[in-house]
Amino acid sequence: MIGAAFGDTLAKAQAGDEAAFACIFRDVQPSLLRYLRMIAPDPEDVAGETWVQVVAGLEGFRGEEQAFRAWLFTIARHRAVDAGRSRTRRPAVPLEMSEAAEQLTSPDTADLALEAVSSRAAVALIATLPPEQAEIILLRVVAGLDNADVARIVRKTPGAVRVAAHRGLRRLAGQAERTGVTQ
Amino acid sequence: MSGPGAMHDEMPGYFPGRPGGGEHDEPLLDMILDRRPLPPGAPPEMHVLARTLAAAAGSADPRELAGEAAALAAFRRSASPAGVSHAAQRPARRWLPRRSGRGRLPIAAALVGAAAGLGSITAAYVGVLPGPIQQMAHVTVGAPSASHNRSPQTRTATRPPGRAPYEPGPSDHKQARSAGSTPAPSQANHQQQHHGSTGRSPEPAPTCKPGPVPTRTPPKPGPTQYPTLGPGQPVVTPQPSPTASCPVIVPQAGGSRSSH
Repeated sequence: MIGAAFGDTLAKAQAGDEAAFACIFRDVQPSLLRYLRMIAPDPEDVAGETWVQVVAGLEGFRGEEQAFRAWLFTIARHRAVDAGRSRTRRPAVPLEMSEAAEQLTSPDTADLALEAVSSRAAVALIATLPPEQAEIILLRVVAGLDNADVARIVRKTPGAVRVAAHRGLRRLAGQAERTGVTQ
Repeated sequence: MSGPGAMHDEMPGYFPGRPGGGEHDEPLLDMILDRRPLPPGAPPEMHVLARTLAAAAGSADPRELAGEAAALAAFRRSASPAGVSHAAQRPARRWLPRRSGRGRLPIAAALVGAAAGLGSITAAYVGVLPGPIQQMAHVTVGAPSASHNRSPQTRTATRPPGRAPYEPGPSDHKQARSAGSTPAPSQANHQQQHHGSTGRSPEPAPTCKPGPVPTRTPPKPGPTQYPTLGPGQPVVTPQPSPTASCPVIVPQAGGSRSSH
């Protein structure tokens, strides 16, 4: 998160300052990709399309950093849904299994909890949850959005979002306990 | 549904009877979700969970920033669209066509409308519009009236052969008066001269009828109101006014202004 300097950075980016835009990009892009790896078939492509749309609407955006992130992740989710639809319309072609897909389908997710916890492994561990819970936890923790923003993005009530997040966290905690990771 | 009411496989982290299990752990879970530090007495699995989620939101891998160049290129295109080649614009067009198309249509329609309006106004001031339209322009935008602009020679030269020359009918004058226009004294004189000397028939001229406009004269019964051109024809005489030269309708002796 950029924090208090976000307003100035956004204003400069809206005025055409490339360095300011790069600052925003570097701040958001990692969490965006981690989220999209969970929900999109081609996360890099969807992230690129998301940024094109963000750039197109950047000048008209008004709001704080939290609102900016909520706006950006809303766009990302829409683009991911579009990408999923277009993929289902296309003829099925066997694809090479990506690294992320291998992690998502790993039979022994407990091993992921045992190994040194890198960002990628942690996201992969979250991805073992039911998709709805995993998406909500990623939006809450990785994207840094609050309950209300996440509820708007996934089109659920804040209460339902909170319950789903708690269930997902309990499941993750159980996996950690079963594997003996109880430092 | 939460706590003991949930299926076991829905809540594998819930252990009944344990401190921190079920709904009792909700404050801790909320703290983890908000990325706040846990209290020291929190269960160990909660600490592990917090570390795992903190790692998920950890620092960026350089590979994750590989799309920066493309994003900056899109940003540059947005900042200076004129300096972009067609090949470079293609990816952006994928997301912008509907927006641009929607924006261009109203602008084009507005430009066409503005051009047509300016052209019509110009034509009205030049006085080349057909009589009824010129008269309407005279009423609405203050263009010269048709009778003022068209000399008999001009009308003779421009009219099609075999057709009677156009003369603004009484309805035209009535329309002008009804709309509250302020014809110049010369125009009023012209109207007076026109009514008195042409000897035209009392039939109303085949002009486009004006819409319902407020009139200063009391309405007379009848489907349409055309003043007669007989002996009782009103004479419009200019009256000097400190603000405007509004014509005053003075009924001639032996008759009042009538309509049929």
